[in-house]
Amino acid sequence: MSVLIQAQTTAAEVAPSPGRGTRVLRAFKATPFTYATLTVVSALLSVPLVFVVSIALSSDQTVNANTFTVLPHEFHWENFVRVFGTELPMGRFLLNSVLISLGAVVGQVLSSGLVGYAFARLRAPGKNVLFMVVIATMMIPAQITMIPQFLLFKELGWVNTFLPLIVPNFFSNAFNVFLVRQFVSRLSSDIDEAAMVDGLGFFAIYWRIMLPMLWPILIAIGIFTLTHAWGDFMGPLIYLNDESKMPLSLGVQYITSTSQALQAPPWNSVMVGSILLTVPMIAVYYFGQRYLYEMDISGGSAGVK
Amino acid sequence: MWFYVFVSPWLVGFLVFLLGPMIASLYLSLTEWDTFTAPTWVGLQNYVTLLRDDPVFWKALWNTFYYAAISVPLGLALGLWLANLLNKQVRGQRAFRTLIYLPTLVPLVATAMIFKMVLAPSGPLNQLLGFVGISGPAWLLDSDWVKPALIVLSVWGAGGATVLLLAAMRGIPRELYEAAEVDGAGPIRQFWSITVPQLTPIIFFNLVMGLIGAFQIFSQVYILTKPVGGPNNSSQMMVPLLFNEAFSFYHMGYASAISWLLFAVILVFTLLAFRTTRKWVFYETEVG
Amino acid sequence: MAIGSTHVTRRGFLGFTAAAAGVITLTACGADSDTGSKGSGGPLVMTVWGGEPDRKAYQQRIDLLVKKYPDLSVKLQLIPSDGYAQKVQTMIAGGSGPDIMEVAENVNVYSSKNQLLPLDELATKAGLDLEKRFGSIGKLYSYQDKVYAIPDRSGAMIVYYDKAAFEKAGLGTPGPDWDWAKIQGAFQQLTVPGKTWGYAGAGWWAQWWSFVYQNGGTIIDPSSGKPTVTSDPVVEALQWAGDLTFKSKVVPTKEQYADMGADIGGDQAFAGGKVAVNTTGFWAISGLKDSKVDWDIAPLWRGKDQAVTAFGSGLSISRTSKNPEGAFKAIEFLTSAEAQKVIIDTGQDVPANIEVQKSDAFLKPSWMTKPVDMTAFAKSSEFVYRAPFIPEWNEMQKAFDDGLADFWLGKQDAKSALTAIQSQLETIVKPAG
Repeated sequence: MSVLIQAQTTAAEVAPSPGRGTRVLRAFKATPFTYATLTVVSALLSVPLVFVVSIALSSDQTVNANTFTVLPHEFHWENFVRVFGTELPMGRFLLNSVLISLGAVVGQVLSSGLVGYAFARLRAPGKNVLFMVVIATMMIPAQITMIPQFLLFKELGWVNTFLPLIVPNFFSNAFNVFLVRQFVSRLSSDIDEAAMVDGLGFFAIYWRIMLPMLWPILIAIGIFTLTHAWGDFMGPLIYLNDESKMPLSLGVQYITSTSQALQAPPWNSVMVGSILLTVPMIAVYYFGQRYLYEMDISGGSAGVK
Repeated sequence: MWFYVFVSPWLVGFLVFLLGPMIASLYLSLTEWDTFTAPTWVGLQNYVTLLRDDPVFWKALWNTFYYAAISVPLGLALGLWLANLLNKQVRGQRAFRTLIYLPTLVPLVATAMIFKMVLAPSGPLNQLLGFVGISGPAWLLDSDWVKPALIVLSVWGAGGATVLLLAAMRGIPRELYEAAEVDGAGPIRQFWSITVPQLTPIIFFNLVMGLIGAFQIFSQVYILTKPVGGPNNSSQMMVPLLFNEAFSFYHMGYASAISWLLFAVILVFTLLAFRTTRKWVFYETEVG
Repeated sequence: MAIGSTHVTRRGFLGFTAAAAGVITLTACGADSDTGSKGSGGPLVMTVWGGEPDRKAYQQRIDLLVKKYPDLSVKLQLIPSDGYAQKVQTMIAGGSGPDIMEVAENVNVYSSKNQLLPLDELATKAGLDLEKRFGSIGKLYSYQDKVYAIPDRSGAMIVYYDKAAFEKAGLGTPGPDWDWAKIQGAFQQLTVPGKTWGYAGAGWWAQWWSFVYQNGGTIIDPSSGKPTVTSDPVVEALQWAGDLTFKSKVVPTKEQYADMGADIGGDQAFAGGKVAVNTTGFWAISGLKDSKVDWDIAPLWRGKDQAVTAFGSGLSISRTSKNPEGAFKAIEFLTSAEAQKVIIDTGQDVPANIEVQKSDAFLKPSWMTKPVDMTAFAKSSEFVYRAPFIPEWNEMQKAFDDGLADFWLGKQDAKSALTAIQSQLETIVKPAG
């Protein structure tokens, strides 16, 4: 217990994190130049987005002749209504998306921290070799292992279920493991060494000391996993057959798909679909920032030498 | 042995879900397989053909190098620059952070459509260039400029790197900056002497992932260029090439061989990156 | 502060774990259904590509089928067009291909690899005369003299023209009797340099191949199975198509197209009034319904011969189907006049069934907003040429795309481009025995 208290006091003693103190340090002081740059960059990055909205609000006539403008010049809000007016079970798609991405997020968050921590801190023969294997698994394009993987999941009887889209996440992935390892390696090992002296097991150290400090990175992993699972089209396409099981990313394709190769897609609907897919992610990121960047976890400061 | 207990989730997942398919693709690279009928063993034939008789493969390899060599450092630098700006005490910080991260959230179909418009011969980008007296190229239509166009697209998504950098910046002890301020160091010097060194593990992460990602660039090429990798393969990259072979031409064996050659290329570069870590990546504890 | 948040964090984490368990349970619940559907008694799985309108059309036809044959049940699986080939490929590789499968130009990818059932016998048994029902395209989807798919949708490429512009210029009505010289003359008259163009162009295979076959050429020689793209008729036809852009300048260049907007092609340019003539398929009609342009359609002009590409798709039966008889019964009905009427009623496409193409339902569709000469389709059906649907179709298309890139930019002549393509095609195309 004493170590835990020590860890917490250390964290508590440290001044609030950079930029949030009583006095703004020069390194974090915003000059008019900062504002100007941020405004210009944000504006430039938003132009394409405004364009997306403008196209989403275009009439069919504008779409057919492809005479779009960057700024909206007409406002056909019914385009949004129309998407929900089809026989497609949009609510069901949304629910499926939520279930699949939530499952993926939970899996990655639970498993990646543990594995990444082990690669950063624990010692064992073969660790470095194994770490190279972790990295190496990312170098084979997913496209090429897709069919063998499909055969595997078919063998397991998982085709046309969410399982192939969720379960592998509970076994972490190389990207996240590498990420956690890098983060843990920035933390001083003083505390966990002291804890070990105190007789705390590795699990207890991970659970009580590491996890709180890893929180921001686990949130980041959650956001990445969520965005990826939410937007993934290929996985659901390959593994799901029933319309009632499809996520939004695939369902939106039904609105935008044409029956002839050269036929132009209904761009207004494409953009409506894109907006439907994007808005929840924007909201998650906007509000998730509180936990990602602003929570008082005092990550690296906890162990300042 | 606790190590193996801790890594068991990954290990089991690797053995169950990944290793089999990887071995399968390695085996398939030594065969001719149309994905429908039984594969025929051809030994190293696919590799020999690729390396000796397939000019498109070499072109794609060169294009992929070109893309990676420019987009990776550019993405790293821009990400760091943006993260540093976003880490300052500004009003509307959340909104700025969101706007800069946003491009990575928009589905690629929408992005591609918009970029085709922006990159049109007399589109907004070339008009902008026109103001400063540069007459812009035809970008996606010009075999010399289609790769730079793809790099422009990657720059648009540079904000994606800010998430990890910002999260890491939060962990940099405030005392370091306080001490530097007492010493009279300006913000720029503090950036280079405190922020950057403290972030090196994450910069290194971004570098390695950037390399792997750039070498495997796929969707952007697939969705932005018509025909895929065009005009005349001047934007053909490794993964679109193998995707075509596997799913359009039904040469799964050949495609697998491409993917293993790509594996070898990425491996070399990643190992080189790891080799350099001792020189510039600062870990609090020994990890390797 | 720090202490508090640490606690919250850990509790939050536990909550997370509980949520995880919940999701898994939910997922597992959804998992049990649909695993036993592959038995011979289960419904026939039918895969088609497209979007929501396509689903409606197919489902309506299936409903009619089930009404007529209550013993059959068909499960429609609509797959977004971009992922269709890949999805079907994975399904087949996984050993459970669909029973009924929509195919098009790439039909022989599957048939040549023994993945489809030959349908001749089943057709004879069912008393289905393909030529009678579908005209010249009855055996379009054949490989080595065996039929592998029954035509389902088939619309010839037609000419969309700006009626007002033609009348104003005193050009009359374009038709199948116009030859190259005459139509080119019209293009020239209708072009206002830098503003509007006479013709949308022929850069797509379906377009310039039509001219090749009109000129007496072939892409693949039907008897030997060898590529023949360096023959004079082919070179001449392609050069003519290219010259329309770079010599007589009656077709917009790629740059001019890109400047009109993203992804703009002939269909959009025509709807926007930028070009006076466009050659494309049936689908453009829906995009023109509320266009400002006063348009109509006509069969394609002629060269030395009459010839035109048709777009469409057929229905095939996968070799793994447990109930091929049932599947064929379904296809037979789905391509009958009764079910094919739905294709035009919903405005989806041109039904392949000739009887329907000539029926009132087709000639005056209820959704059409203005009089359009729909007879153009049936008239064109008479001179659709048999395009070479070789197993290496996709590779062949890629060879053309790559090899003609410089040609369509005006940097190369037809002869040298086609010479390079010919040698590439010779390595790709394995002559069918």
